[in-house]
Amino acid sequence: MTRRFGIIVALLGVLGGVVIDWTLGVPPDPFRAPDPMAFGSTSGASGAICTFAPGAQQ
Amino acid sequence: MIRILLIVGLLSTLAVSAGVRFSLLLGLGLLIGFSLERMGFGFAGPWRRLIRDRNAQGMMAQLLAIGLTAIAIQPIIAYAPGSFLGAIAPVSITMVMAAFVFGLSMQMILGCGSGTLINAGSGNAIALVALPLFCLGSFVGTLLVPFAIESTPHIPVSLPALFGVQGSVGATVIGLIVIGLIAARYSQAPLWNRRLLTAAVILAGLAILHVLVAGQPWGVVYGLGLWVAKAAQGLGWDPATAAFWTHPINIAALESSILTDTTSLTSLGLVGGAALAAWKESSDRPFGQSVAIWFYLVAALFGLLLGISSRLAFGCNVGALFSGIASGSLHGWAWLLAGFVGSIVGVRLRDQLWSLAQTSRQS
Repeated sequence: MTRRFGIIVALLGVLGGVVIDWTLGVPPDPFRAPDPMAFGSTSGASGAICTFAPGAQQ
Repeated sequence: MIRILLIVGLLSTLAVSAGVRFSLLLGLGLLIGFSLERMGFGFAGPWRRLIRDRNAQGMMAQLLAIGLTAIAIQPIIAYAPGSFLGAIAPVSITMVMAAFVFGLSMQMILGCGSGTLINAGSGNAIALVALPLFCLGSFVGTLLVPFAIESTPHIPVSLPALFGVQGSVGATVIGLIVIGLIAARYSQAPLWNRRLLTAAVILAGLAILHVLVAGQPWGVVYGLGLWVAKAAQGLGWDPATAAFWTHPINIAALESSILTDTTSLTSLGLVGGAALAAWKESSDRPFGQSVAIWFYLVAALFGLLLGISSRLAFGCNVGALFSGIASGSLHGWAWLLAGFVGSIVGVRLRDQLWSLAQTSRQS
């Protein structure tokens, strides 16, 4: 077995996750999409970021 | 040519069905994954080479990438603080301990936050075992974060807020130069590697573009925890029982498609980009590693620890180390020191276990 098998497994995993989320969850709505870029726009960062620390002292 | 058409088709479909910003973010993830895999730029590997072989080439490239990004993104974030958000997080005892565990764990599986995704995308068996546990650990970590914040003081320190943007950029660059001088003094190999330096410039450019598009710096682990949280919700878990997931930002993320979540898109892109970069040579490389099967269990365990520790440390090598330092967050510097000490322990432990796993397989 070669690494190509591993790549296919990884891609199928990613694709499977997206399909399940799309099917069982709420599909994206392009009419509620933010501006293409945050720069120069009022629709900025989502705030969903790794450093998010709810409840920490500000 | 077929691969390029496929990507253009994929990005166009996402732009139409979700929005142009999300398509751009997936595209950036693909480019980052492709560049890092093709050019051999990473975080865990260079630290291992510095510690084990006294070779600082990869470390110097990392410092260059962080420095270039810092010079660009700190003024951008300060330009419109309502729209832009830096990767600023608290410093605490638990944060430092978690960064130590992350540094150790990433040496055990030779994959950091971005590295595990890229290794999985390139078909690495150990990364494919570790990645699902990494995601699970990221979710478990979100359940532990509120307890950590309640039990120990967590103090966010933003250098731009303390010293102003110019002072913060200056302090960041000086700090990176000091780390570079220490690494250079320790190194016994030539310091500069053209390929890695080129990769560093490319990565910095993509990280800056990420801020311009998303309004926030590049991250990895938030998305991984979100995927498991959504799966757990589908299996009956109630997010209202977890303090972390009752915050409006996280509720919104749970109620939306992962194709509209910033870190999910770039993480998916990392896997896809690495797969594209590694596809051609993948049929000549063996899938499995020449180690006993139990080493895969070790990889799974440390994958889980990667996830938990990255949440408690408020980011992995990307969200905390790269983006944290580039944003002027003191926690990025604390992460660097604690993660490096953890890596010193991890390099030694891995060498011992790897050798044992090879011997076990042969006997």
